[in-house]
Amino acid sequence: MAGMFAGPQEMMGYSFNTAPTSASEPRQHSFYPYTDNGGSTLGISGADFTIMAGDTRSTSGYSINSRHVPKLFLIGGEGPKNKGARIVLSVVGFAADGDALKEKLDKEVKMYKYQHGKPMTVSACAQRLSHILYNKRFFPYYVHAILGGIDEEGKGALYSYDPVGSYEREQCRAAGAASSLIMPFLDNQVNFKNHHIPGSGEGHDLKPVVATPLPKETVIELVRDAFTSAVERHIEVGDGLQMMILTKDGVEEQLLPLKKD
Amino acid sequence: MDALVSQLETPRSQQELYNSEEEQEQLALSLSPSLKFALPPIAQSQAWLRAMTDDYSNPNCPIKIAHGTTTLAFRFQGGIIVCTDSRATAGNWIASQTVKKVIEINSSLLGTMAGGAADCQYWLAYLGMQCRLHELRSKRRITVAAASKILANLVYSYKGMGLSMGTMCAGVTPQEGPALYYIDSDGTRLAGNLFCVGSGQTFAYGVLDAEYRYDLTDEEALELGRRSILAAMHRDAYSGGFINLYHVKESGWVKHGFNDMNPIFWKTKLGKGEFSNVTADLN
Amino acid sequence: MSSPFSINGGAAVAMVGKDCVAIACDLRLGLQSLTVSNNYPKIFPYGDVYLGLTGLATDISTVSDLLRYKVNMYRLREERAISPQTLANLVSSSLYERRFGPYFVSPVIAGLNHKDGKPFICGFDSIGCIDFAKDFIVSGTASDQLFGMCEGLWEPDLGPDELFETISQALLSAVDRDALSGWGAHVYIIEKDKVTKRLLKGRQD
Repeated sequence: MAGMFAGPQEMMGYSFNTAPTSASEPRQHSFYPYTDNGGSTLGISGADFTIMAGDTRSTSGYSINSRHVPKLFLIGGEGPKNKGARIVLSVVGFAADGDALKEKLDKEVKMYKYQHGKPMTVSACAQRLSHILYNKRFFPYYVHAILGGIDEEGKGALYSYDPVGSYEREQCRAAGAASSLIMPFLDNQVNFKNHHIPGSGEGHDLKPVVATPLPKETVIELVRDAFTSAVERHIEVGDGLQMMILTKDGVEEQLLPLKKD
Repeated sequence: MDALVSQLETPRSQQELYNSEEEQEQLALSLSPSLKFALPPIAQSQAWLRAMTDDYSNPNCPIKIAHGTTTLAFRFQGGIIVCTDSRATAGNWIASQTVKKVIEINSSLLGTMAGGAADCQYWLAYLGMQCRLHELRSKRRITVAAASKILANLVYSYKGMGLSMGTMCAGVTPQEGPALYYIDSDGTRLAGNLFCVGSGQTFAYGVLDAEYRYDLTDEEALELGRRSILAAMHRDAYSGGFINLYHVKESGWVKHGFNDMNPIFWKTKLGKGEFSNVTADLN
Repeated sequence: MSSPFSINGGAAVAMVGKDCVAIACDLRLGLQSLTVSNNYPKIFPYGDVYLGLTGLATDISTVSDLLRYKVNMYRLREERAISPQTLANLVSSSLYERRFGPYFVSPVIAGLNHKDGKPFICGFDSIGCIDFAKDFIVSGTASDQLFGMCEGLWEPDLGPDELFETISQALLSAVDRDALSGWGAHVYIIEKDKVTKRLLKGRQD
């Protein structure tokens, strides 16, 4: 790809078009190993389930590379199809880095299972992922990762990461191109931010609503709303919506169409 | 256990800063945080990293690293108060309002987090491991001075590589009493009574310096920590969220809640008449 | 970060309802990370038409005063109040006059047409290109967040009370994810012969 050694700002032309001067020292060409492949992901955890979702468009610049590149991956199952996996990783950003990260985490979770004779817990996997990301602190993976699963108590677990491995367990998280569109919507609809109990008081005495875990059906509906909204206002999001619903019984995958314009 | 200790004890000088595929396999299977980091295949890796990740020198940088913000800690007769906000920002975007910026190194040592969130999380976890190893080797608790020096030497060995952290180590030990150290990624290590770190530090210092005395009671000290962070959250755009409050005593640290700043703010304003710059009139 | 549009911070949004429109803004004025004022409204009335201005604070003052002058002159010459459509064209041409040295503002207009009472909203870029929208207009440092909120909450034919609730929730939740805006809000609900102004209590961080 020509983009490999071009700066982020100049999309066209040669990266080596600066004429060398006779007295110049040996110079390194600008090194830009990343492409933003766009797209958006989100995860919401409930009382006994976690829902992960991502659109399936892959872009570079204004071009659409593909309409079906999944951003959700099963981690640590059996065989090439990862049967029986209990953990889902979503990655958004640079798809090649995302793929490499997925392969690495998947391998390590599988190795753990073979060596210890038991599957890795989500919390252990979450910490492992943090260390994998931090191991490339000085040459980062260009990804925002979200990890979903069911914890040891049977509750929905969701961990979100920055590109170099800072992580936190959360109720909900949107990542990627449309995260700034989706995240405030989730704050408002999942955590009931800025909601007040009607008639609980006048003016300053009005009581805020305390967030309680939502039922699965409501969350699925919210995820679809979030993505149909994002598709309207963000060019890098669209084509398909891949959803994975994690419960104690395993992972159920759904594919829904989104607008393709 | 001895094998584990000796494995983890390998001096860094014997370890190189890149790793082959095999070493990576090894590392994947080892239990410890690793000190081997992948580097980009170019000569000026530091300049490159800055271009990619430092949104201060390059606002269009592709990788936005989450940054931490206002933290404070002070020593007083009853121990040490540690208090932080909980906001993480990437540029103007508020990435999270629920970051835990106090890191529990062990039952009597606390670290705070400002700067790169990942750097602080990773290296304070590493410090926790080193403190435990020290305990196993010498059969007694590590001093805060020693713990803070492990961290200071560690970040100093990475000087210029782009680590970004401003952290405080707070603990009470029989040898030292209450001890507080400030360590940053430049390699600075300072002992002191009172520190504020982060983009909101000046606002916190304003309140803290005005009201601070060494002979504060426990309640007064907790309230002062809370009030200083509140001031910083209010005036500094990159601080906010929840107030995370800890009290470190001889018997270990005690957590005093992770509370949303907004109700506390309005209670402070309406109850005590402070923050008179904000209108309470809703008409 | 030193873009003139994001030095002072601020957000504004306008929405269409059934026989009513709403416009809202936050109250922050800052200098990068430092919050200087928490009482800096960004909505300006021109008769019964309302203009929201976000961007560089000095240009907000200049543009709002310039338009006040122009709208007053219009009223004196024409002996009638200015309609939202006319104000939109006035704003557009005034901004385009500075095509090569623009005011760093993103205006938003909301009002009801004087003849047929139809809701009218529109937005502009800094050099006067008008965006006539049928649903909502957003502007300011929290515009991405506002797009997401409005796209998720807005629906056609909302009554005045529902519209107030929708625009308030959209604005408050949006600015809570933006470091440079918030600190309280103003909301105007504009109906046929009634304008209701409300102050919202927002997070103070």
